[in-house]
Amino acid sequence: MSILITSRAPDAWDPPPGLFDQVTGRAVDLGADGVIAVLVLHTLRCMGFATLSRVAGAAGLGESDVQSELIDLAVAGLVTYEPGDFGGWSITPTGRSAHAAWVADELDAAGAKVAVAEAFDRFLPLNTELLDLCGAWQIRSGALNDHTDAAYDARVLAVLVDFDRRAGVVCAALSAALPRFGRYRVRLAEALARVGSGELEYVTDDMASYHVIWFQLHEDLLVTLGIPR
Amino acid sequence: MRWIHSLSSDEPAEVLGGKAHGLVVLGRLGLAVPAGFVIGTEACRAYLRDGRLPDGLADELTIAVASLPAGQVSVRSGASVSMPGMMTTILNLTVDSIEPLKKAVTEVFSSWNTPRARTYRELHGIPHDLGTAVTIQAMVYGDRDHRSGTGVAFTRNPNTGEPVPFGDVLFGRQGDAVVSGRELPLPLHDLTAREPKVWAGLLHAMDRVESHYRDACYLEFTFETGELWLLQVRPGRFVGAAAVRVATDLADDGVIGREEALRRVSPEDLQQVRTPRIVLAADVLARGLGACPGVAVGMVATSTDAAVRMAAKGPVILVRPETSPLDMRGIAAAAGIVTARGGPASHAAVVARAMGKPAVVGVAGLVVGAGSVRAGDRTIEEGTLVSIDGTSGDVVVGEATVTTSTAESHVCRLLGWADDISGDTSERPEPDRLRAAHIALSQTKARRKPE
Repeated sequence: MSILITSRAPDAWDPPPGLFDQVTGRAVDLGADGVIAVLVLHTLRCMGFATLSRVAGAAGLGESDVQSELIDLAVAGLVTYEPGDFGGWSITPTGRSAHAAWVADELDAAGAKVAVAEAFDRFLPLNTELLDLCGAWQIRSGALNDHTDAAYDARVLAVLVDFDRRAGVVCAALSAALPRFGRYRVRLAEALARVGSGELEYVTDDMASYHVIWFQLHEDLLVTLGIPR
Repeated sequence: MRWIHSLSSDEPAEVLGGKAHGLVVLGRLGLAVPAGFVIGTEACRAYLRDGRLPDGLADELTIAVASLPAGQVSVRSGASVSMPGMMTTILNLTVDSIEPLKKAVTEVFSSWNTPRARTYRELHGIPHDLGTAVTIQAMVYGDRDHRSGTGVAFTRNPNTGEPVPFGDVLFGRQGDAVVSGRELPLPLHDLTAREPKVWAGLLHAMDRVESHYRDACYLEFTFETGELWLLQVRPGRFVGAAAVRVATDLADDGVIGREEALRRVSPEDLQQVRTPRIVLAADVLARGLGACPGVAVGMVATSTDAAVRMAAKGPVILVRPETSPLDMRGIAAAAGIVTARGGPASHAAVVARAMGKPAVVGVAGLVVGAGSVRAGDRTIEEGTLVSIDGTSGDVVVGEATVTTSTAESHVCRLLGWADDISGDTSERPEPDRLRAAHIALSQTKARRKPE
């Protein structure tokens, strides 16, 4: 399935064969399968820690495909799985290094650095605005919003709809620069649609809420541009 | 002058903006305010309509600036309704010609219509056509020397309503340093020893503004070589237990009537009056901004991995410089969250509230290392027991005493007055008793109105 096959655990940072050219150290053209492996790795890097179904949902791939990629990535030492209450998949330090190098190469190869950096500049004021908006959704007059005032909630949600329209412009610029950013537009729209149908936990509370997806987009932009937090 | 008003103008806040209106009040109370003037909101509306500064404003600016002492000025936004942090403020502007000032005024006017400001107004039901005033004042320098500084002060404790001065001071710094959160401010009370004259001046000012507004107030101030200057005043706008306590205390003291006290408290204030709070005789390590109300007690964990590991043994407080999606798992595992950076509108704050975890954010001067946390000259190790109060922003070493009745006797008294007004003494939830009084008050008011 994948070309990321290795039977040994890497020591420190040891680029797995297939992901990087062993001579130049640069990411190589992986073909369709390899691209999926990297996409799964990248999705997990931006989510932090997630169950299989959440990774698959975020990446827009089938669960069985993602599971087989995750297992291969785990064999390569790039991701790890922890059982338990707070368990799930996460990226290893080795995986982070490999991923950072791959992302830098990807940006170079696509010649997208300027476009992504420009989009990030437009993202930042939107980010401040969304955080204000989430604050207004969660807190009112210093108290947690108990969502009993439908008129107030409707006003906040109307602003969110308007915000989403403007955010869409920046998301479109990002997908034009690097197509993988296109997933955020889809996911944000899904969250907003669920809010529209009355599932209010998709504003800030659910792990697939508008804010959580936006938070991951923020992380993605920082990671893609190599900006430390 | 058509567009520009003096800081002794009789114009209302709709024209002068809230900030300049407060400065006029301060001046009338005989308190020291840096020399300045204000461009009214009408000029901003003209700018927003025409896309350029209105005719005649530049000439008026030239004349007005000539009346100020030579040197730099501050250029501050200020609408008639509060929009904190939404618009531009420019400090230390050198006015060698009128051009930089025109540019600064244009910048402040334009900041009225940033998408963020528009969203803020939509969320808070503020009309888009008000425009902002611009206050221009001679600079006073909190960073001039070691006898200079800057701070913010409440006339009463905004967390409890207790009638004691409360606030922060930074020595040798300008105003933006206090809000930036980069530096650890000192408690206001430290002025007593270092600058007793400034402290006395501040107490005097607090007394004057409280008498004027008949409410707890918020002040911004700078002192330059031992001389106190006031830069802003507004009523405190306390919420929760603090709102109940201040309204009741003021009525007890005869400063306001009981009806007014009832009007100043909202049902929302009563709903949160029993939010758990730390009783502060405790060992305060640091203070930030409360981002999600409630008290959490647990062992300090400085990484998400540590939080998840330690949570198996007992409650954990996750302490991070700021948060990334990688920390969401740590937040889920923790009983409470502390971040050094970020404000109440940060990803960490939004996630904490979404998960219902007490949170303190923006703890100035907090340094999170691997396995330890430093605040000022104190270092505590991972695993140390701490308590956090997501209302006041206090971070306390050890297991603090927690109370849910900081304003019990005040609530009881206030609701007694509410029942007197409504004439209803039946058993009901507390917010309903207040609502009934509000309805009775509005009906009385309507009846008093001439037909």
